[in-house]
Amino acid sequence: MNIKQIAKEAGVSVATVSRVLNHPENVAPATREKIQKIIDQAEYKPNWFAQGLNFNKTKTIGIIVPHILNTMYMEIAKGVEDVALQKGYITFIGNGEMNSNAENSYLQQLEMRRVDGIVIMFTSLEEERLREIEKKGVPIVLIGENKKIEGFNIVRVDCKSGAEKMVKHLVASGHREIALLQGSDPETESMDIYEGYCNVLRENGIEVKKNLVSQVANSIEGGYLGAKKMIASENPDAIFTTSDEIAYGAMDALKDAGVRVPEDVAIAGYGNNRMSNMVEPKLTTAELPYHMMGVYGARLLFDLIEDDGKNKPEPKVITLQSKMKVRKSCGHKERIGEMF
Amino acid sequence: MVKTNFLGLELKNPLIVSAGPWNRDGGALVKSINAGAGAVVTESVVSDTLLDVRPRIACDDKGAQNIRLYSDIQIEGWEREIALAKNAGGIVIGSVSAQTPSELAYLASKMERYGCDAIELSVSNPAMESLEVVASHPDVMYEMTKEVVSSVKVPVMVKLSQNTTNIATVAKAVKAAGGAGVSAINTVRGILGVDIETAKPALSTYGGISGEYIRPLGLASVATIAQTVDIPLCGIGGVSSAENALEYIMLGASAVQVGTAVMREGYEVIGKIARDLENWMEIHGYDSVEQVRGKALRNMKSFDEMKFEPAVSTVEDMPCVDECNRCYTVCVYDAIKMNENNVTVDKNECSGCGLCTFACPARKLRLKW
Repeated sequence: MNIKQIAKEAGVSVATVSRVLNHPENVAPATREKIQKIIDQAEYKPNWFAQGLNFNKTKTIGIIVPHILNTMYMEIAKGVEDVALQKGYITFIGNGEMNSNAENSYLQQLEMRRVDGIVIMFTSLEEERLREIEKKGVPIVLIGENKKIEGFNIVRVDCKSGAEKMVKHLVASGHREIALLQGSDPETESMDIYEGYCNVLRENGIEVKKNLVSQVANSIEGGYLGAKKMIASENPDAIFTTSDEIAYGAMDALKDAGVRVPEDVAIAGYGNNRMSNMVEPKLTTAELPYHMMGVYGARLLFDLIEDDGKNKPEPKVITLQSKMKVRKSCGHKERIGEMF
Repeated sequence: MVKTNFLGLELKNPLIVSAGPWNRDGGALVKSINAGAGAVVTESVVSDTLLDVRPRIACDDKGAQNIRLYSDIQIEGWEREIALAKNAGGIVIGSVSAQTPSELAYLASKMERYGCDAIELSVSNPAMESLEVVASHPDVMYEMTKEVVSSVKVPVMVKLSQNTTNIATVAKAVKAAGGAGVSAINTVRGILGVDIETAKPALSTYGGISGEYIRPLGLASVATIAQTVDIPLCGIGGVSSAENALEYIMLGASAVQVGTAVMREGYEVIGKIARDLENWMEIHGYDSVEQVRGKALRNMKSFDEMKFEPAVSTVEDMPCVDECNRCYTVCVYDAIKMNENNVTVDKNECSGCGLCTFACPARKLRLKW
């Protein structure tokens, strides 16, 4: 059966069948159900290539993630996909491997495949390169900040205020010697966290000590090595890290050194990855709303795709917030904080 | 006769069905509209839907407690739902809830595009993650309202919370940011009760209390805002009758919201309140809500203005031989005595506190001098 035959059997126009296929939300429920039933019975599948040629849309989008094995990026990707699927789109996922060359070659591939838009997480690319792609009519939305890039639709998290909340909490819990294990990436977020950390220490009359801030790789290993080195020469009473992975590694290093968490040293992370509620002691952390980041990224992208370059709206910046997840690793004994 | 202008919208009556699961989708909104609501507010739409906790609503005969009542439909899905409500001829106010100004502005602009006639910012739910509700910070409310107002053309009202030090300051911030109105109050943080046999609270975490419990708080908030800020006001909290609606209107509200009553008594309660309201207005010779609005505010004084009148309690309709001991039980000053066959007040002992005049079921006691 083809689309004309389906329309005839349903007693509607071809356009209505087309709407059921492409914009079901615009068809009255009763009509939609009736047509859908015929489509299902006939096992009719629209010709994707024909559709693409007809609407000049391939109904595909690309997502470039910095590191495909990192579950947090997959949660963001799920957010993007959830919206895309609802819009009848499928997604190509590219693994950027945290380097601009890999990202660049994925961008070329996606462009060749005529995707309708691209979401890039924590991009390592320069603004100019992104601008080039955009000029060719492929909308781009960024999720998360690695490099300082302006003029694009972006979903970001206010990590500075997240870090401020966390360091305030640590100070309020009586910690003064607060170390920071600062991850190598995402650069901008990491720097924002550093800024928030410095602000709160200064506000509380605590000196920001160079020796208590250490740059590490953003990984469990990075956290392990960083913490091991830190406690060999310094005596922090709390360690704040720019990611939960770094915090896991730090906890491991402290355990190996016979240092108790939180009795001897408090630990706080950033991200609220799934494991953070399961490690022992449970990790106090500032939440990055991964799924929501993906959902908003996709929303901004589809706004651009649906606009089709007609109105060229001003680039939107959606800023999300980090909520505190106060658990046992920072020495907070009352259950109350855990619940909120 | 019960028409009202609120946020520049002409409502056929001042009854707005509030945000909540009774307005969870297009079908539910249509039920509220068909039941006679002047306007309807969608269940609050959030940035990213979460799974609903179970159980999440508890009630008793005075009110309810809910943990988190947000829409489980993503913003994209509301396009259809709002179209359904608009087709039914209703005035639809889109409620949006989020953590940051940019999220709120995004959600609000979508709701506007889908056809909402106004936006309500719901940032005062006391059941959320934080012990402090967002709406307790005037500066944050200013930023949020401003960003939303600059991204939509429809009027924006902000739902305020009693969980704040000074609700008038927050209302002022909303006005300064260009908000078209405020609604007050949202539910109040609370625990409905504890089952002492199982040691279990009504729900397993704190929630927002609604219904009769919070009406006095709502009335005070509305009066406070009406006396300090010139901004259109919508009264919320425990409205389940025309009398309750009039109480809010007399304290300065142009409209009221009904939520818990719809949940407990069904959609029909909307029509009933609207009819009773119309009857009352007709009997009392009023042509519009505006004529009634703020009438009770004129009878409110600041504490400094109150005169120290030497009034004492007086039993009218003597002798009172009712089988009732309310008046002398409540008299904390021991001024009221029950003699063999009458109630008497010792005018030297009576300090004129007035409590007995409220306690007497027959209203036989009056303060006089």
